[in-house]
Amino acid sequence: MNIAPLTPGFAGDVTGIDLTKKLSASQVAAIEAGMDAFAVLIFHDQDFDDDTQLAFSRNFGELEISSGGEMSKPEDRRLKLEMADISNLDRNSNLRGADDRVRLSALGNRLWHSDASFRAVPAKYSLLSARIVPASGGNTEFADMRAAYDALDEATKLQIEGLVTEHSNAYSRELIGFSKEDYGDRNQDKLRPVRQSLVRTHPVTGRKSLYLSAHIGTIVGWPVPEARAFIRDLTEHATQSCFVHAHVWRPRDLVIWDNRTTMHRARRYNDLGEIRDMHRSTIRGDAMTALQQEAA
Amino acid sequence: MQISALNPGFVGEVYGIDISAPLSLDQVAAIEAGMDQYGVLVFRDQKLTDEQQCEYSRNFGELEATLIGQMSKPSERRLGPVEMGDISNLGPDGKLRGRDDNRRMYALGNRLWHADASFRATGAIYSLPSARVVPGFGGNTEFADMRAAYDALDTATKALIEDLVTEHSIAFSRAELGFDDYGEGNADKIRPVRHSLVRTHPVTRRKSLYLSAHIGTILGWPMPEARAFIRDLTEHATQPQFRHAHQWRVNDLVMWDNRTTMHRARRYRDLEEVRDLRRTTIRGIGLTAAQVPAMAAE
Repeated sequence: MNIAPLTPGFAGDVTGIDLTKKLSASQVAAIEAGMDAFAVLIFHDQDFDDDTQLAFSRNFGELEISSGGEMSKPEDRRLKLEMADISNLDRNSNLRGADDRVRLSALGNRLWHSDASFRAVPAKYSLLSARIVPASGGNTEFADMRAAYDALDEATKLQIEGLVTEHSNAYSRELIGFSKEDYGDRNQDKLRPVRQSLVRTHPVTGRKSLYLSAHIGTIVGWPVPEARAFIRDLTEHATQSCFVHAHVWRPRDLVIWDNRTTMHRARRYNDLGEIRDMHRSTIRGDAMTALQQEAA
Repeated sequence: MQISALNPGFVGEVYGIDISAPLSLDQVAAIEAGMDQYGVLVFRDQKLTDEQQCEYSRNFGELEATLIGQMSKPSERRLGPVEMGDISNLGPDGKLRGRDDNRRMYALGNRLWHADASFRATGAIYSLPSARVVPGFGGNTEFADMRAAYDALDTATKALIEDLVTEHSIAFSRAELGFDDYGEGNADKIRPVRHSLVRTHPVTRRKSLYLSAHIGTILGWPMPEARAFIRDLTEHATQPQFRHAHQWRVNDLVMWDNRTTMHRARRYRDLEEVRDLRRTTIRGIGLTAAQVPAMAAE
């Protein structure tokens, strides 16, 4: 297995390994070491189906249930609950229409975010496998939250050190005009904000990073508008082109990223005319990043 | 009067004119020609009273009242006429506003990229803030050139946006930051108005993107799709190569054309330091798009 840097210290291109086969402990350790060194790893020509993708993913921890799946009725799901359906297809594998609610909610993925930051124990890795890709557009962009943290001035580092943010899926969707009510009655409890530290430290490398996400709605103890304006400024800083790597998808690409040290977003494509079918497995994190509020 | 380029084709600094004194028609025409050529003009060392600022501004058209002035009771206003926009962190008593002050929360919306008064059916032509007190650090105003941003779009995007009409309201930009407390009797002032997404400058005939944080949707589009698209366009249009940062000095007057630019304020220590800018605004002429009859805010 060899890793060639695409963006030094951030995105690496991995060759010489077939991830659909059972891996040895040392192979798994090498991938994890690569994840710690880079944060985003790209593997080409990995011919996964859902079972082999889930089996590979379990090497890195417990699987997270997808929030989209969890919020859908079983009969509306195209994929298993552990497999997030990052596509523009409905359960009959037809393209979703312009006003389809699932389509509109999924547009929130075009905002910079960290997967499952709206869970008290947020996600560690996301593993996204490209099954069908559109002819143009639909890139995924990644931003390096360690480099973005390092580049802050000392005054800002000091100011943000102890800050705690509140995250909910409802906040990111509200930004694009998808309202809380649109989630349906049965999902309102899944929108309760959770708390996260704004600065987090990677458990292996010890490097600090900004824990930013479109799911942030406020900073504990701050007036909401001031918190949001400040988070926007930090996000703008952290997603400058010098911190960003764009991935152009090919079929059978598998990309793994560490949600603890990166943000990502999807870019626009002709989703009413072309299929983009990606399957995402997600590894649950080990711990909370901040104390939660007691249930009201 | 001379203009030297601070940012070629976008921002010019003007020398050799005292704008506190009455101007000749030729001088006014020269400033207007400079505005058409650049989009933003900076005048240094112009010590102005509110009256002189209003008088200078009237050379360019009718003065626009500020929305927050119209939304406030006279006792809540620090400056007299509603045509004098209070771009400061001071209350009517002249003291710094507190952290949770409603007007402070409202004003934080100025940190989003916007065109002034795009929430009015007629929009605004020029904005002319004069700096009376500036903080020791921060509080820059940044400008983005919507003509250059339009020119740099690919052909497919230009074709896609050519006839799109957007809806603007102050409520959209403020909702982004979680603010919705306008007080009683102001519901009519937050009704959306319509604007063309691409507009053409009446003198230069150059096309520009008419973007603003006040945009809430595109007519005929699902709202989330419209918002995601407008965010992408805004990100494109505010890239560093289209941008200029103005660092304020006391007695700066900066004029910008809201038809061809966006701007935003940057953070400063507003709970501790005074920043007192006073802004006059020239009312727009004509509509950029047909309105819903009897619905749009004036």
